[in-house]
Amino acid sequence: MESLSYIELKQVSKQYRRRGQVTEALHEIDLSIEKGKFVSLIGPSGCGKSTLLRIIGGLVEQNCGEVLIGRSSPQEAQKQKQFGFVPQSPALFPWRTVLQNMQLPFEVNRKATKQQADREELIKLLEMVGLGGFIDSYAKELSGGMQQRVGIARAFGSSAPILLMDEPFSALDEITREKISYLLLNIWEEYQKTVVFVTHNIREAVLLSDEVIIMSPRPGRIQAKITIDLPRPRTAELEESEQFQHYMSDIRYHLRKEWQI
Amino acid sequence: MVNKVGNQTERLQPAKARFSKRLKRFYVKSAFWPPLAAFAGLFIVWELATIIFQINPITLPPASAITLEFFQSFSFYISHAWVTFYEAVLGFMLGLSVAFIMGIMMAHSTVLERTFLPLAVLANVTPIMAVAPLFILWFGFGTLPKVLVAAIITFFPMLINSIMGFRSIDDNHYEYMRSLHASKAEIFLKLRLPNSLPYLFSAAKTCVSLSVMGAVVGEWSGSSRGLGNVIMMSSNYSQTTRMFAAIFMLAIMGIGLTNLIRYIERKVLHWHMSVNN
Repeated sequence: MESLSYIELKQVSKQYRRRGQVTEALHEIDLSIEKGKFVSLIGPSGCGKSTLLRIIGGLVEQNCGEVLIGRSSPQEAQKQKQFGFVPQSPALFPWRTVLQNMQLPFEVNRKATKQQADREELIKLLEMVGLGGFIDSYAKELSGGMQQRVGIARAFGSSAPILLMDEPFSALDEITREKISYLLLNIWEEYQKTVVFVTHNIREAVLLSDEVIIMSPRPGRIQAKITIDLPRPRTAELEESEQFQHYMSDIRYHLRKEWQI
Repeated sequence: MVNKVGNQTERLQPAKARFSKRLKRFYVKSAFWPPLAAFAGLFIVWELATIIFQINPITLPPASAITLEFFQSFSFYISHAWVTFYEAVLGFMLGLSVAFIMGIMMAHSTVLERTFLPLAVLANVTPIMAVAPLFILWFGFGTLPKVLVAAIITFFPMLINSIMGFRSIDDNHYEYMRSLHASKAEIFLKLRLPNSLPYLFSAAKTCVSLSVMGAVVGEWSGSSRGLGNVIMMSSNYSQTTRMFAAIFMLAIMGIGLTNLIRYIERKVLHWHMSVNN
């Protein structure tokens, strides 16, 4: 299992063809992510960060280059249920209760893992995200922030060692967003899964990540990689520190280079 | 001392106004009293109109006479209603099942959809009245042709809505299932099927009363039993009172069946947005 959770991309490119016109979504991406790390992909819209996430997760196939998840292809890893996907909208099934939604990853694709959902474990996770009292609630009874907390808990509760998060907080208001980013931080520090986190929020990227990958658009490519060398567990006080502010302005600097004004 | 939680303005109102407000709220929210009031009103206006304008009972019998006729020959109406009822319900279930199975196939295959949907459209645009006598010719005077007419009337709306329900899944849900490498069957059972339920119920609510119409049309074309037959016969003998009693029986059946579906819908779709508000 050790070597499986290691993500490696070599010279990955992706083009989209639409009515004879070719758009280059990703251009020769080189990237490697160590097991148990929290890595953020940050960049403006259209820089291909979501596409990159979907290539890693085996949902989209690259045109050239190689992607390895451990020793296998993303499609093979997907078959083995190595990925916990957290989409932009929480994607809770409205006809299932919160707990039943948490159990969904265990119910499908039973060929890969025979593992049963551990009810106690899932409830413990829900309690960690502050939803211990909503186990039997339906999605329509929850606010957007609560739904996304379930989405995150569902990913951590599944057996997947790699979590792929596609701007999970982008639909939330600023205050909820800040609160949830700390919740995510707490769970991640306990579970230590590998996370690839797509965002366009600089604060979030610095707060959560071990490494921030800055991407630029047209064509989507990696512009800079910044290792965030801040102590863990990270706290709210840390956000006020000079070091934190320094990382933020560093990322902002790289993002602004693209502006060409 | 009516309620302690009332706000300032409510407390300033005289007791009488407060009472009428609560009465209104109770009345509006009740499922029983408003329709009853409407029917009572219709009954009274009808009765008075026949008396005041001295309408010939063969043209329009008084409401009281119809009620009396209904209760005097209660078992007669019930036995005929039962025939129409099971023809309609069997037809409804047949139409629903075929539509459901074809819906599954068409939702998964555009080729099948493009090929067979025109046939379904053809069946839908052909007036059912025109086809019913043909069914009598083919299948005789028994139950089968009536069931088939009811089934055909039910089929199309159910088919269209089930295809729509199976197809119109949330992209995020679909992608999430794909990220787990869920099989087509799993995606159908755990995503498409539950997703289609609101669509299926909304079609079923209209179709169930259409199926009653289908059974009656079938009976008109040739039958010895059923409320459609009662209407036909009483029309021939100018028994207007009997005709109206049969018509009301049909209306009650329609209301009953629609409400039954509505009740099941509320039980099954409690998670859905449209229920509860």
